[in-house]
Amino acid sequence: MRSAAEAAVLSTAALLLSLLVFGGFVALRGVNPLEVFRALLFGAFGNWFAVQFTLTQAAPLMLTGLCTAIPARAGMLVIGGEGALVTGGVVTVLAGVLLAGAPPLLGIPAIALAGAAGGAAWIAVAGALRQWRGVNETISTLLLNYIAIALMNHLVSGPIRDFAQVLKPASWSIPEGFRLGDMPGTSVHWGLAVGMMVCVLTWILLRKTTFGFAIDVLGGNLRAAQLAGLPVTRLVLLTTAMAGAAAGLAGAMEVMAVHGFASASLAVGFGYTGILVAFLARQNPLAVLFVSVVLGGISASGGLLQRRFGLPDAATLVLRGILFIIVLASSTLYGRFRLFQDRER
Amino acid sequence: MQSVDLGWWGVLIAVLGGAIRVSTPYLFVSLGETITETCGRVNLGLEGILVLGAMSGYATAWATGSPWLGVLVAGMAGAGLGLIHGGLCNLPRVNDIAMGIALFLFGTGLAFYLGKPYTIAVAPRLPHLALGAWSRAPQVRSALEINGLFLVGVVLAPALAWALRQTRVGLILRTVGDNADAARTFGFPIERTRVVGTMVGGFLAGVGGSFLSLYYPGTWNEGLSSGQGLMAVTLVIFARWKPVACCYTALLFGAATALGPALQSIGITTNYYLYGAAPYGLTLALLIWSSRPQHTLAGAPQELTISK
Amino acid sequence: MTPPTVQIDGMTKRFGTLTALHEVSLTLTPGTFHAILGENGAGKSTLVKCLMGYHRPDGGRILVNGQVQAIGNPRAAHALGFGMVYQHFTLVPSMTVAENLVLGQADAPPVLRWEVLRTRLEAFLKTMPFRLDLARTAASLAAGEKQKLELLKQLFLGSRVLILDEPTSVLTPEEADQILRLLRQMSTERRLTVVLITHKLREVLPFADEVTVLRAGERVGGGPLTALNQEELVRLMIGSMTLPRADARVPRPAGAPALEICDLAVRNDRDAEAVRGASLQVGAGEVVGVAGVSGNGQRELVEVLAGQRVPDRGAVRIRGERYHGRRPEKLRHGVSVLTEEPLQGAAVRAMSVAENLGLRNFDLPECTAARWFVSRRALWTQAQELMRRYRIRAQSPGTRLDTLSGGNVQRTMLARELSGPVHVLVAQNPCAGLDLAATADIRAQLLATRNQGAAVLLLSEDLDEILELSDRIVVMFVGRIVYETTRDRAELQAIGRAMAGHP
Repeated sequence: MRSAAEAAVLSTAALLLSLLVFGGFVALRGVNPLEVFRALLFGAFGNWFAVQFTLTQAAPLMLTGLCTAIPARAGMLVIGGEGALVTGGVVTVLAGVLLAGAPPLLGIPAIALAGAAGGAAWIAVAGALRQWRGVNETISTLLLNYIAIALMNHLVSGPIRDFAQVLKPASWSIPEGFRLGDMPGTSVHWGLAVGMMVCVLTWILLRKTTFGFAIDVLGGNLRAAQLAGLPVTRLVLLTTAMAGAAAGLAGAMEVMAVHGFASASLAVGFGYTGILVAFLARQNPLAVLFVSVVLGGISASGGLLQRRFGLPDAATLVLRGILFIIVLASSTLYGRFRLFQDRER
Repeated sequence: MQSVDLGWWGVLIAVLGGAIRVSTPYLFVSLGETITETCGRVNLGLEGILVLGAMSGYATAWATGSPWLGVLVAGMAGAGLGLIHGGLCNLPRVNDIAMGIALFLFGTGLAFYLGKPYTIAVAPRLPHLALGAWSRAPQVRSALEINGLFLVGVVLAPALAWALRQTRVGLILRTVGDNADAARTFGFPIERTRVVGTMVGGFLAGVGGSFLSLYYPGTWNEGLSSGQGLMAVTLVIFARWKPVACCYTALLFGAATALGPALQSIGITTNYYLYGAAPYGLTLALLIWSSRPQHTLAGAPQELTISK
Repeated sequence: MTPPTVQIDGMTKRFGTLTALHEVSLTLTPGTFHAILGENGAGKSTLVKCLMGYHRPDGGRILVNGQVQAIGNPRAAHALGFGMVYQHFTLVPSMTVAENLVLGQADAPPVLRWEVLRTRLEAFLKTMPFRLDLARTAASLAAGEKQKLELLKQLFLGSRVLILDEPTSVLTPEEADQILRLLRQMSTERRLTVVLITHKLREVLPFADEVTVLRAGERVGGGPLTALNQEELVRLMIGSMTLPRADARVPRPAGAPALEICDLAVRNDRDAEAVRGASLQVGAGEVVGVAGVSGNGQRELVEVLAGQRVPDRGAVRIRGERYHGRRPEKLRHGVSVLTEEPLQGAAVRAMSVAENLGLRNFDLPECTAARWFVSRRALWTQAQELMRRYRIRAQSPGTRLDTLSGGNVQRTMLARELSGPVHVLVAQNPCAGLDLAATADIRAQLLATRNQGAAVLLLSEDLDEILELSDRIVVMFVGRIVYETTRDRAELQAIGRAMAGHP
């Protein structure tokens, strides 16, 4: 319980400090920081419309956050959410076109799972490279991001291109019957519910089961895990596959619930923001759920900042960057405050 | 001047010229990261530093009219980010790999945030040595234009190698990165050395970034760099942390990146994105090749987090 | 240039609530060979680290040639002529022997002149009884050579008061003799004051002039060696504490070997062959002790048995079946492993005592609910019982493992590894760095496990430990088993020679 309180307090402090520093940045452009804070709050949670937009932005983050959080518990730093999401989106489109005649009750879960599988395979490659060649998974997943985006662009402007779309290169669309609509009474798509459910299930898996215990040991000390005879390779492959599946599912949701096809609009940074979500949530799947909403709110208010203050849309990128740096720097404070310590010390 | 049809020779020459041109940022970033990693710190935020360097160099060159001043300011911006990285990573329990990613996002965001007004401005370009002036073919002439920064880099690499072997500062750097315990017993200032090493690395990476905006491609926009900073980290591993080897590896990467545009010049325009993926694929392949499962990367400074 | 007179006056050092040193005073007469004796945890290392400027003492003062000196960092200590050879190596692996020797020079110019330096180094090496190739990298040296390089480094730097912290653990008895003799000679010639930290009386008696004995942070005795005898010294070191007596040995059952290691070849982290075709058999109810200086492949051998490393060739068999270190195999055959430095390789420091204790059986029916879920309550109850039975001192089962003392961490490992059915036990330096009480506990447990019929493989750098516990003794040298003898016929000389590679 103490460590949960410590995490909550330090994470909140990091968020507040980042807002302060960000305030300094906007002040440099002659904008009043207090106004900006108010706009951030309003743009994120000010009215029902804003809240819904925030939740729409939060939905994919819940899943891409898991893409970093799950392997982190096994001692790996995976940052391949962007690539896995894109891969998942493309595979979803392909599956959707392949299964075009199927009834929606079968088709929808099938193509969503296909997208998840695509993402899983993508990140599992990094897991395999780590186990069989000792390749650092942070560098490999980062490279895989670029490769996935390049492959997606190639496919989407060539082999699977839908030339009827004139605005920008886009793939074939999935059948209308496989589209996911909004949840009743809201204008938020079902991807949110999927994201929330996956977060909760992941939390149960990692905190309560023997599998989760084994992952914790692996992340705590690889050699202790080997000494206990745990199947390390299997665990690494499973965690990376699960991570990729989460991000791949996010890609599937984007295709099924938002766009209906794959295009460069899949690679808008959900994966990278997911990394931040995971760290702010201290790699806890349940916390990922809530932190996604916070970060979703920041993204949602970007448009408002641009319209009202003339701040470039990169402003929220700067805020996120500052937040990430401060969150990481704050890890030095854990265990320092007597309030949260075991009395043994 | 009409372009002379050189056929496949044209591709070779374009790749050669492209190699020199495109390798320059790789060269500088990898030399910088070699210094940083030699003193025991990993900086994955090089991509952010690269982009910030490109933007600040461009803006300064436009404002002052001097491209070399732009290069200098770009370097200083890089050193600034390096200071943040080095300083924060010295705090206990801060993960320098994650911090690098954070810096990557921050640097890129900051560059786009501050650089919006400069996308339409036109800044002066860095000078070059026209070694191909004898030729009638513009392709040959453009291929043999050796830019100023490349020359600086080619001289810098062996100088750094010498410094690491023969100067006291070089030995201190290597000790801090290879065995911090030893450094402590000698009274070497570990934290300070690592911050300085990271700042120098950031400076060089910033200079590498300025090349992108001030020479080739020669403009500032948000799609300027993608992943070159990251590839430089792999480059350093592949070059076994040796500065002169970085030169050759940078040229190799430059050639791989230049392949796509070179093929385009003789009319092969399909699969544009696939050629774009080539450098990343090459990087991944080299990384796989350089790594071994059961033991540490040979020649790696032992204090590096990625080699532990 | 004779060494200075060093006086330590009433030194006190506290780490939080722990008092590591309390009012310790001693004098280092120039040109003496001074031994600091005491068991692990007595404060020996803390004392010299204060002298070397690593720690700031909370009380007392240091006088050099009569003048009070505040030694704030290692550099200041070096400036006074103090040098130290540490227990861990302070060599830079990627640098050559020459570069390592030159590294500490305080007056080094900004640009090094290698021709001049090389001449100086060659001249210096001529005055030493052992040589090292200047061009080899430190990483390629064997442990004994590394220790010699550390010594050379201090001598080259011109240290006049040389402190050595347990230097002989990585040396064969012969190498240890060689170095101690050299130091003895230099101190007699008044070129050096030698301060030797050790807990081995065997090293002290032939070489030292003076002795200081520390116990629990206090100086409990000492003086010129001529005035003291061995029994007194031992009594001073361990005080009046009575140690638990180990059980007597039970005759062992006959039968096929329980643990067989067949022609094992293993590579280490640097891709060099660490074990080169080692073969060994351990029967049920017997302790086989593997003697040998560290760095001869023991670590890699244990890692294979623990499942932490995959061999190049060869096989390990337990009761006739191939063994790979996997969890189901460990469970079925009752394999337990005790490593040295448990926080490094056997325990998760961020996890609680209960969770670490549960590593053995967290997925077995006794600790799970509904087959897939971990029952925290079962883990807690188990921890409480084990903490009581094995005398693990910790605030509660929920405290983090790394807040416990070294002895209690190892007791936790003992509890975990021995509380289930054990048929094969592998122990590597299990008592390294532990105080006498913990050491006695662990040795008693090892014998008890043997008496219950388990096959025990004990690898240790401490020859006394091997001689005390083993039924059979073998020697491991450069990755092979080179010598074998039984308890009754064991001869220290022969074993020592085998450890050094002279059959």
